[in-house]
Amino acid sequence: MNWCRSVQSLVKSAFSGKIRQESSNYAQLRYMSRVKSRHTAPRHFWMKKERARYPEELSSENEAFLREVVSDRYESPLRHHPPAAPLAYTPGVRRCGLVARKIAVQPIWLSNGKYVNTTLLHVADNHVVGYVPPEMLNQNEVVRRRWKEQYRPLAGLVVGADQEDPTKFTKEYANMFLEAGIMPTKKLTRFTISPEAALAPGTRLRATHFQVGDYVDVYAKTRERGFQGVMKRWGFAGQPATHGATKTHRRPGGIGSGAQKSRVWPGQKMPGHMGGQYRNLRGLKILRINTKHDIIYVLGHAVPGDHNDYVLIHDTVLPLRRRKEPGTVITDEEAAQLPEDIFHPDVHQMAAPSIVF
Amino acid sequence: MLRRRTRIEIPEFYVGSVLAVTVSDPQAPGKTSRFVGICILREGHGLRATMTLRNAIDQQGVEICYPLYNPTLQKIEVLRLEKRLDEDLRYLRDCPLEYSTFAFDMEPEHAADSGEVPVNPVKVPLRPRPWTWRWERAGMKGLIVPELREDFYERAKKVSEPWHKYDLMREYRRSVPVEDQREIYAEVHEHVQSLETDQRRVRRRRVFVAPKKTS
Repeated sequence: MNWCRSVQSLVKSAFSGKIRQESSNYAQLRYMSRVKSRHTAPRHFWMKKERARYPEELSSENEAFLREVVSDRYESPLRHHPPAAPLAYTPGVRRCGLVARKIAVQPIWLSNGKYVNTTLLHVADNHVVGYVPPEMLNQNEVVRRRWKEQYRPLAGLVVGADQEDPTKFTKEYANMFLEAGIMPTKKLTRFTISPEAALAPGTRLRATHFQVGDYVDVYAKTRERGFQGVMKRWGFAGQPATHGATKTHRRPGGIGSGAQKSRVWPGQKMPGHMGGQYRNLRGLKILRINTKHDIIYVLGHAVPGDHNDYVLIHDTVLPLRRRKEPGTVITDEEAAQLPEDIFHPDVHQMAAPSIVF
Repeated sequence: MLRRRTRIEIPEFYVGSVLAVTVSDPQAPGKTSRFVGICILREGHGLRATMTLRNAIDQQGVEICYPLYNPTLQKIEVLRLEKRLDEDLRYLRDCPLEYSTFAFDMEPEHAADSGEVPVNPVKVPLRPRPWTWRWERAGMKGLIVPELREDFYERAKKVSEPWHKYDLMREYRRSVPVEDQREIYAEVHEHVQSLETDQRRVRRRRVFVAPKKTS
């Protein structure tokens, strides 16, 4: 009943993508080349976010009235503004991250004359939308498993970015933002945090959440490459261009693995859809922060995603890159007095004199 | 970019001008190194703008690509301000070395301020084949291409793309439209004015030589 066992193990290890095949004298561990998690449509259990737009043929007075209602609700001076609870980095405490947009890749010169590329991540309009207590987060099987591995309770902080006109969304979605008192956001995401790092809903998050010299991890969806062949997708070598190769130059070649198996292994690398997957890029150093426009300059140009794509930034999980000393707390008044650009000491500022060795 | 230009004067120059560049170099004696050469190429935009200078030293052609906004550049001098018939002088790699040789102790040649940049109509001959590029197809005006076999020209005609000169979108993508140019110049105008007055002041200061006692 070898095949029965193999199917069971396949189902059990669906998340990790590992397949253990035990037969005869040896146990071979095979990794699924990638776990297929691509969803082109929203899941059926998600709430509807955008409402169907149809021509309502409102008069100009009614349109102006609607805009007035929206501005009264969200820009009223009587609206409750929660105190900007600044949360500096504390070693051992997992705090929330930021939702940014990848806007540019620009060069920077370091003070030793070295030329590096930096990616500009624009932290626009980030607000804390809600707090998810550990008991609620625990209901998710995946989180529970991770929780057990770490032996501590984890909470969630829902962060929204890029507020939009509430008339574009459904009532159900817009009601999620009532506690925060902000307009519904285009992008909504959840960060797993320690319960000590909870923030009040409505708190504005800015680029000064991080400090220059910090290392961050970036989580974003890679660029869509469509249906790709085996050479681009998996790095296969292909076949020779000449010397008699008949109609075979970029094909996978053989896909079998011998007479014993007599079948193709599940997870065999083949052509298919490439790109559009969420990936982590770890340990990126922050070289510069622009406080006026809330832009974080991160070392490297390989941040996944296209121009203007959303990117999640959070403190790095790499143990050797984590800061040992706690960060400084920056209140709103202090933030207003910060210089427009904060540079890392290693970075050469263009206003400074030329580099002399 | 404007902040960098307050620290170093990046003069007006074109492909075909002869420049001298002083760079701070940790390995060089005196920690600076100076290179003189003809500008054969200008590429890139914004902070990534570069220029390539070519010279022949000890019968060896040498090309160095300098990013214009590199903070290790200490000085850029234009020794000869002129243009050539082409915007790209990479054919000098296949020409006799005498056309790429410029003395390191070359004095700056001040042309009369007529407002227009002189165009050097020199036509450079090529060395015998093999070349680094198919110069018979390139259509370079400042280059004398020798007569080749018939099949070279037949093949050139087959692979030629004569419709490019009618491609408006291609030209649009290659250049900055006039409306955007006006916007950019308006933004930069006030900074450029103050920069120019500062640079003129510095230049006058340098020219002044203190009088020596004769008795």
